[in-house]
Amino acid sequence: MTPRTRAALRRCLASPRVVIGLALIAAAVAVAILAPFLAPHDPQEQDLLNTLLPPAWAAGGVADYPLGTDSLGRCVLSRLFYGARVALYVAALAATGAALLGAALALVAGYFGGWVDWLVSRLVDIWMAFPPVILALILLVGLGAGVNKVVLAIVLIDWTRFCRVLRSEVIVVRRRDYVAAARLAGFTHAQTILREVLPAVLPLLITLFSLEMGIAVIVEAIMSFVGLSVEPNVAAWGVMIADARQTMNQAPWGVVAPVLAIFVTVLAFNLTGDGLRRALDPRLVTSRGEA
Amino acid sequence: MDVLEARGLEVSFGAAKVLRDVSFTLRRGRVLGLVGESGAGKSMLGRVIARNLPEGFAVTGGALSFLGQDLVTIADEPRRQLLGDKIAFIPQEPLTALNPVMTVGRQFDEHLARLGAPRAGRRERAIAALAELRLRDPASLLERYPFQLSGGMCQRVLIAMAFASGPALIVADEPTTALDVSTQAHIVQIVRALQRDHGTTLLFITHDLRLASHVCDDILVLYAGEVVERGPAREVCAAPRHPYTRALLAANPPLDGAARRLVTLPDTMPGLAAFASLPGCRFAPRCPVKDPACAAATPPLRDIAPGRAVRCTEACLTGAAAIVDAAPPRPPAPPPGETVLALETVSKHYPGERDWLGRRRPGVDAVKPLDLTVRAGEFVGVVGESGSGKSTLAKLVMGLEAATGGRIAVDGKDVTVNDPAARRVRLGALQMVFQDPQSALNPRRPVSRLITQAMEAGDGRWSEAERVARARALLEETGLSPDLLGRYPSQLSGGQKQRVNIARALCVTPRLLVADEIVSGLDVSVQAQILNLLLDLRRERGIGLVFISHDLAVVRYLCDRVVVMRHGEVVESGDTDTVFAAPRHPYTRALLAAVPPEDPDRPWPPEPGPAA
Repeated sequence: MTPRTRAALRRCLASPRVVIGLALIAAAVAVAILAPFLAPHDPQEQDLLNTLLPPAWAAGGVADYPLGTDSLGRCVLSRLFYGARVALYVAALAATGAALLGAALALVAGYFGGWVDWLVSRLVDIWMAFPPVILALILLVGLGAGVNKVVLAIVLIDWTRFCRVLRSEVIVVRRRDYVAAARLAGFTHAQTILREVLPAVLPLLITLFSLEMGIAVIVEAIMSFVGLSVEPNVAAWGVMIADARQTMNQAPWGVVAPVLAIFVTVLAFNLTGDGLRRALDPRLVTSRGEA
Repeated sequence: MDVLEARGLEVSFGAAKVLRDVSFTLRRGRVLGLVGESGAGKSMLGRVIARNLPEGFAVTGGALSFLGQDLVTIADEPRRQLLGDKIAFIPQEPLTALNPVMTVGRQFDEHLARLGAPRAGRRERAIAALAELRLRDPASLLERYPFQLSGGMCQRVLIAMAFASGPALIVADEPTTALDVSTQAHIVQIVRALQRDHGTTLLFITHDLRLASHVCDDILVLYAGEVVERGPAREVCAAPRHPYTRALLAANPPLDGAARRLVTLPDTMPGLAAFASLPGCRFAPRCPVKDPACAAATPPLRDIAPGRAVRCTEACLTGAAAIVDAAPPRPPAPPPGETVLALETVSKHYPGERDWLGRRRPGVDAVKPLDLTVRAGEFVGVVGESGSGKSTLAKLVMGLEAATGGRIAVDGKDVTVNDPAARRVRLGALQMVFQDPQSALNPRRPVSRLITQAMEAGDGRWSEAERVARARALLEETGLSPDLLGRYPSQLSGGQKQRVNIARALCVTPRLLVADEIVSGLDVSVQAQILNLLLDLRRERGIGLVFISHDLAVVRYLCDRVVVMRHGEVVESGDTDTVFAAPRHPYTRALLAAVPPEDPDRPWPPEPGPAA
């Protein structure tokens, strides 16, 4: 590990934002993976005698359903746990896809410059002029509903975030003499990009990746709310909000629980991303006199 | 009357004494030079005066008084009154010292307002102050923005501002380091003339002992936070006594006289962290004539003649006299081999931007048609001021930029178009050493992987053991310790970085190196080490060199042939000794005249040229 990496890592772990954010993300991941063991019930199991139960601590609550039940008598806590699987699946896959596509185009555009750069930059400009939610709806109508389609839609919309930010960073790195030196040492363009340029923009990429995961969680919730994401028989946070919407007046916790879950998860990703940015951005680091 | 007096001044960072026992007196109307390499603590004094010490640094002893007032203990408000009014500063980086979004006139006006000048006469005062600096048409200059001016002009504006209040003391911290040699000569000329006319006292901080010998009346030589030698400038430079001062002068290549091999000291100046382990003389670890007593206790600064003092024992001083005389003559150049590089009428034109109608603005001829051949074992210097096209020339040779005209051949093969075949030809013959090691070394690679980078290129299949072995050999060849293999660039000193930079270029065993200003950022003693390394490489490998530099003395020391460039054009070329001894072109003559001569008694700078 280079001393620079070690110092960066130390700065990250000294940041309360990163520590709290990562702890929350770890908790969410654990819940998602261990959902079959943690959940008291099957998420689809209906108990029609016990519909719209309040949480266990409220008057009329039952210990068997810690967060109560929805209008079909399904356990809210169990659905919440299983819903984390969908949210994190979409977050991880969509952020990875958007990062790969955006970073690849950014590296090519920033490194080669000239007409390649012009083309990519104009494409990003045009792409970003579309309102993202409308674009997502149009894409899903075209692609058809389904959770993997949601992932694809997020990738196709949000690669521009990565591309635009990374491209300007690549241009800065590309002007360093060590990139020219690598070429003079006989590196091919691909080798130069992957071994000299990419490692230098990696901290920024990680930061953007974390923020993108948060965005993906929200987009997935919106899409499952309007029924364009998962199958109706799969528990997802957006589906839970949509289901509980009709009975919101009698059983507000049915909406509150998934909203809180979305809120905490997105907050965790944003905290981590923001903390990483503060710890890794050379401009912010030097201004505090640490580098 | 003493304007500035330091008595046993001490500045500390934690337990480390950054300045130790600094004492001097600066009398009215005199110029005191504070000379030292980077890390010597020379800028620290200016910061004590401005009370602008970096975080963690504090004055921990002694006194620094200005016209009888102690600057260390003085309250903030009276100190603010002194600064600007009685004490003025000339900064190192003229371009960053001026606000880019305000006109020169507005900044000058604000400055005069701060000094309490009435509104009515300010514009006239500014114009008069600029006229005094021989700036042409000062009235229109006031309407311009700093970025529309050259570095030299910005520096002149800042000097005019410094003198505007009629200060008793001016602190100039490396005021000419960022400027070209001929601009430096102009600036020095102007500052000295103003200083004489106004009777101003000047504290001149510089790394260049030779420059100081011409600018200053007295000199303090600093080494690792200690004054090692003090005395009249001419005497110190004509007859240095301390082994460090001697070594510093002997490491500086002269512009005339016999070419002797430069004397180099081992290692570099100790940094802050090393001070604790150096209870005695801080120069002792590098001193060629040290005796065990030096390392145990710091010798006091003793007076050896009226006005001269040296921090060294008598025995060492006697031994130190031998340092320079022991230097052997520079090794003669070996007979050159076959032609490696041939440029025929090579040129580079940058087209202008298109305006909104699609019409091109006039472009720039960075390099006008130029011929150059370099043979193996031959050292060719390319000199010129900034903007002369010498760096573009390097990029054309290396194929980093495409030539717009002419033909480039390496080993007789045409490489004008840098296609894969041409890259292979270049790779076997040419390598480049970059100017700024900070930017040229990937901070994420350890030394071993940096210098053997070429071995992972293409489809090169080399085992890890082969790479490490090669890295060790390269480190040895460039005079570096094998301990550095696992280090990263951020853990290296400036001189070590530049050696790593050279080692990387040597990995593919090129026959010609292209070096772009590779010693300009280094201290004199480290520069001498690098120059000697290049000479050794020629002896051992028969390597050739295209050495791009603005420093004529360095080029004279190193190169057999020299090419003088100006505005992208070669104005003179030929055998180095001939060109430097009898320059034909007026530009070459002007460049040579702008270099401070070795002999401190020769009048310098030359008489001023026309106003710029």
